[in-house]
Amino acid sequence: MGNQLNSQGMSDVAQLNLAEKWKEVKLRALLEDMVEYHKGVYPNGPLALAIWFKKSVQGGEHCLLELFKGIPIDRIVGPTRVSLSWRIDPNEPPFVLIDATSVEFFEQQLASKSPILANYFDRYEALYFDKNLLPDNVLAAFNILTEPAGLIKGWYVTADEYAQTRDLRGLLASHGNSKPHIGLVKMEESQDFENCRGVLNAEIGQKWLPISPSGIVNHTFYNDTLAGRAGYFLFQGGSFYQILKFEIKTAPEYSARLLERSRDDRYPEVYLRAVRASE
Amino acid sequence: MTDTLKSICEQCAHLNSPRLDFIPAQLVRHRDIIIRGLRELVLATSSESEKTVVVLCGILLEAILYTFIWSQQSYIAQRRGSFTFYPEQSLSNYVSIFNRWFSDVLPNAVLPDFVIDYRAIVHINRELQFPPDICGVASRDFLRILDSFLGEISQFPAPE
Repeated sequence: MGNQLNSQGMSDVAQLNLAEKWKEVKLRALLEDMVEYHKGVYPNGPLALAIWFKKSVQGGEHCLLELFKGIPIDRIVGPTRVSLSWRIDPNEPPFVLIDATSVEFFEQQLASKSPILANYFDRYEALYFDKNLLPDNVLAAFNILTEPAGLIKGWYVTADEYAQTRDLRGLLASHGNSKPHIGLVKMEESQDFENCRGVLNAEIGQKWLPISPSGIVNHTFYNDTLAGRAGYFLFQGGSFYQILKFEIKTAPEYSARLLERSRDDRYPEVYLRAVRASE
Repeated sequence: MTDTLKSICEQCAHLNSPRLDFIPAQLVRHRDIIIRGLRELVLATSSESEKTVVVLCGILLEAILYTFIWSQQSYIAQRRGSFTFYPEQSLSNYVSIFNRWFSDVLPNAVLPDFVIDYRAIVHINRELQFPPDICGVASRDFLRILDSFLGEISQFPAPE
C-alpha cells in the first residue's frame, strides 16, 4: 500500500514537473515571437539583445529587457505592458513588461556599475543576441559565451593562392577584411612553436563550435589534404601554418576546452606546421 | 590544383539523384523548382562556373529550407509550444530555425553560419569583402554541404 502511494506520489510530481516545463516552453515561444517582431521595429536600430529576467512561469506578467543598437536613447524606457497574444487580443494575459534602451546607454551604465541594472541580472535568460552589435562587456555580463578560450580565427589558403602571393602581408591584406571562417583551439604545441595540433571550430548560430567528424568532410581544406594537395591556414594576427594531416580522435577531455561536447567525444584534429613568410 | 567542380559533383549522389521525400505531395511547384535548380546546378559544375555554382547552391539551400520548414510546422509547434511560418524571412532565419529544432534529430545536417555568407556573395558588395578566390573555395564547400544536407533531410520525410 505504502509503495503504491509512493509511486502515485512520484508520478504526480513527475506530471507536475512536466506541466511546468511545458508551460515554460509555451511562454518562451510567445516571448521569442515578440522578440522576433521587435527585430524590425527600428529600421536604423536593430535589436541586439533580449533578456527574459526575473524569470518565472507563474503569474500573468513577465519581464523583458531589449537593447537596440544605435538608437538615440539615454535612459531605460518602460516598462511597457503588452499582451503576449497581441496579435489576437491585446487585452489577453499573459503580459510582458518591456524595458528598452540603447546598447550604448546600457554599456555606460554597466561600466559605471549602476544599481539601476540590478534587476536584469535576477534569474535571467538571453532569448536573443547579435554578438556583432554588442560590446564584449555586455556579452560577458550576461554570461553569453560565443567562443572557447584560446580560439584563434582565420581562413583557408589554397596552394594556388599561396603560390600566387608567397607573401604573408599580401595574404593578410586580401583576407584580413573578410569574416574568418575557421577557428582553431590548440591542444598541443611544440616548445619551438613549429608544430601544433588542435580542434577546428566553425560558427553555428554565432557561437564557435567544434566541427564534427561528419561535418569536416564538406570542407575543401579537408578534401585537398586528403588528396595530397598542400593547404594552409592563415590566422588573425599573422600566424600561418601548413596543414599536415587530420585525425579523428576520441578525446572526452577536450570538451572542457570547447564550447560544446561532441555527441560521441570524437573530434577531427588537425596537425599543423608553422610556415615562415620567406618559405 | 584543387578538385574540379565536375568531379566533386559526380560524387554527390544526392544532387544527381535527389530523393525529395521531405516535400509533401501537394507541394508540386516547390518540388519542380528544386528539381530545376538541381539540374541547373549540375550543368553549371560541368562548365566549372564557380560563381554560378555558389549562387545556385545558395538559392537551392534557401528553397530546400523554406520547403522543409513549411512542411514541418506542426513538428516544430509540437516541440516549441507554437510556431508560425513566415514566408518572407531570410536564409539566416531559416538556418537558425533549422539548427535549433532539428540539430538533435539530424545532427549531421547542422548548417554552419558561413553558408549565409556564401549565399550573400550574389551581391557584389559582399563578394568584394572576400579575397579574390572566394568563389573557388565557396563553390566546392557549398556543393558538398548541399549534397550531405539533402541526404540527411531525406531521412525526415514529410508528414502524411
